[in-house]
Amino acid sequence: MVISCLIAPLALAAILGFAFGHAEPKGSLTIGVSGASPALVMAAAHATQLPTNVVVRVIPGAKMLKSDVTDGTLAGGVILTGHHRKLTDLLIPIVAPGATHSPGFDVVSRASSLAGDEWAESVAAGLSSRLYAGRLHPGSATQLADIRITTQSLGNASRGVLDYFAPSIAVIFLFIGGGLGMRSLMLERSGGTLVRIAAAPVRPNRIVVGKMVAIFVTGLTSILVVWGATTVVFGADWGAPLGVLLLSIGTSAAMCGLGVFLTSLARNEQEAFGVAMMVGLFLSLLGGNLLPPGSLPQFLQILSLGTPNGWALVGFGRLSLLGESAGSVVGPFLVLCLIAAITVSLAMTRVRRMVEP
Amino acid sequence: MLACRGLRKQFGERVAVDNVSFTVADNECYGLLGPNGAGKTTTIAIVCGLLKADAGEVTIDGEPGGSLGAKAAVGYVPQELALYPDLSARENLHFFGQLYGLGGKRLERRISETLALVGLAERGKDHVGTYSGGMKRRANIAAGLLHEPRLLILDEPTVGVDPQSRNAILETVAGLGIAVLYTTHYMEEAAKLCHRVGIIDDGRLVAEGTPANLIRDHGGSDRVRLTFADVDSDGFAATCLLVPGVSDIRPIDGGLELTTDHGAAALPSVVRQAGQCGVELTGVEVLAPDLEGVFLALTGKELRD
Repeated sequence: MVISCLIAPLALAAILGFAFGHAEPKGSLTIGVSGASPALVMAAAHATQLPTNVVVRVIPGAKMLKSDVTDGTLAGGVILTGHHRKLTDLLIPIVAPGATHSPGFDVVSRASSLAGDEWAESVAAGLSSRLYAGRLHPGSATQLADIRITTQSLGNASRGVLDYFAPSIAVIFLFIGGGLGMRSLMLERSGGTLVRIAAAPVRPNRIVVGKMVAIFVTGLTSILVVWGATTVVFGADWGAPLGVLLLSIGTSAAMCGLGVFLTSLARNEQEAFGVAMMVGLFLSLLGGNLLPPGSLPQFLQILSLGTPNGWALVGFGRLSLLGESAGSVVGPFLVLCLIAAITVSLAMTRVRRMVEP
Repeated sequence: MLACRGLRKQFGERVAVDNVSFTVADNECYGLLGPNGAGKTTTIAIVCGLLKADAGEVTIDGEPGGSLGAKAAVGYVPQELALYPDLSARENLHFFGQLYGLGGKRLERRISETLALVGLAERGKDHVGTYSGGMKRRANIAAGLLHEPRLLILDEPTVGVDPQSRNAILETVAGLGIAVLYTTHYMEEAAKLCHRVGIIDDGRLVAEGTPANLIRDHGGSDRVRLTFADVDSDGFAATCLLVPGVSDIRPIDGGLELTTDHGAAALPSVVRQAGQCGVELTGVEVLAPDLEGVFLALTGKELRD
C-alpha cells in the first residue's frame, strides 16, 4: 500500500521532474527583457533554442533591468525601445502595409559577464527574428499573440513538457495499479486469505466494494501524489486545481475499473501481471500517453478517444497546455465517469465471482 | 450445534459429496475421516458457506448455513495457511478479528489469549513468513479461535507438521470445550480427539459412530504377527490353528499372521507351539483392531491411498 500510494508515485514524479523539469537549474544565467510582451519573449526564447540553464525573464522597465544587470541579478538584458507592450501592439504597425517602423534593441550586460553578453545578444536576435517573421507572416504573428504566459521564468521549453507528461504518464500507472490490485486479489485467493475473509460474517458485496474502493483510493492517491510532487518540487503546472481533481477522480475510476476487469480475465497471478503490463503499454500507445500532444496521426487521435487515458489526456491537455479553466474538463470528466460506470460494473461482477459461493 | 442433511455437490461429472448427513452436538468433537479426495474439504466448504450445495441443507446453531449468523458462530481453520506472511501474527489477528466485529481492548485481549493458547505469545510480533511450518499452523488456528466461536472447523490442521507442533495442536483442540468438526486422514488423531467419527469415502458417509463402536462393529479381530528364521512353517501353521481363539492364519513376509478374538490371551499358547515345532521366533507383535482396519473393512481401501 505504501509503495503504491507513496513510494512509486514519488519515484515517478522524480523521474519525470528530473527528465523534464529543472525550473531553475543551478548555475543558470538569467537574461532580462524589457519593453516586450511576455508572448513575444517566449516566442523569441523558443526560437533561439536556448540551453536549459539560460532563463529569459520579462522585466517591467528598462531602469529596473539596468539595475538588475548592474547588481548581478541578471546576467544580461535586452531593452526594446519604443512603447509597444503587447505583441499585437508591436506587430500591427509593422505588418501594416507601408509600415517601416522597427523597434530597436539595447543589449545590456556587464563587462565581466561574457556569457551574459553573448546570450543577451542571442535573445535580442531571437526577438528580432520573431518580429521579422511577424512582418512577413501576419497570420503567424497574430497566432503568437494568443499564447499565454503564466510563469515568470521563460526560456525553459521542457517545463511545458513536464506539465503535460506528468499527468500523461501518471494516468497509465493508474491502469497498471488497477491491474496489480486485481493481481493482489488473485494472490489472496491462491494464498488462502480470501477464503478466510469469505468465511467471515461479512456480506460478499461489502468485500467486493471494499476491494474496489481500496484499488480506486490507491490509484487516486498515487496520481495526487505525482501531482503534488511534480508541482511542489519541480514547479510543474497541471492547470486549474479543481479541474485536475475532477480529472484525477474520473480517470482513477475509469482506469482502475478497466485495469481490474481486464486483469480479472487472467487465469492466475502470473498471467495477471503480464496482462496489466502489456495492456497498459498498448493503451498508453493508443491513447497517446507516450507521445507529444497532437503528434498522433488523425485517425489514431480519433481512436485514442476510445480509451479512458485518451479522454484523460484531452482534459489534462486543456488544463496544462491551453491553460483553460476547470469547466473545460467537464466533458472529458463525464465521459470518464461513463467509462468508469461500465468498467467498474464489469470488474465488480468478476470480483464477486471470486468471493461469493 | 451443527446439522447437515442430505448434502450433495457435483463438479462436472464428478460427485464430490453425495447425500452426506451428520450432526455435531455442543462440546462434541466430530471427526470426518477419509483419504485425500474423499469429499471432506468440499463438505466443510459447504458448511462454512464457501460453496453452495446442489442439494441438502446446513444449520449452525439454529441459523441456516452461509448466513451471517451462521458464519459468526463458526471459526474456520482452512487446510492451507490463510494468513498474510508479510504481517506479524498480531497484525493478522487484528485484521481478521475486525472482520468478526471485534475491536478495541476486547480484540487486543483476545489476540493475547489466543496467541498464548497456541504457544505463540513470544513470537506474536514476528512476521508470519518467518515462522516454521508448525508455528504457521498454530497461528492459523489462533485466527479461527479469535472471536470465540461456538463451532470450530479444522480442515486437516496437522498435515505436514512436525510431531511436536502436532501434539501441541491436538492438545489445544482437545482442551477447547466447544463443538469441533475435525477432518483428517490420520486415524490416530481421529481416535484420540473425536467423540464420534464419520467415515467418508468417494463423497459418501459410509459409517458413523464412536471410535470404539466403529472398531467393535467393523474393525475385525486382533492379529498376531509372528516372524521367524527360514524353516518349513507348514507344520507350525497347522498347530497354531489348534490354539483356542485363532480363527485364521495367513503367510506374511518372513512369518505368519494369525487372526484371533483376543491376541494377548492366545499369545502364550502360540509361543509354546513354536517351541514344540522347533521354530525360533524373531519377532512377535499383537495388533488390536483400529480405525484403519475399519476403513479397510468398509471401503476395501487403505486409508492412506
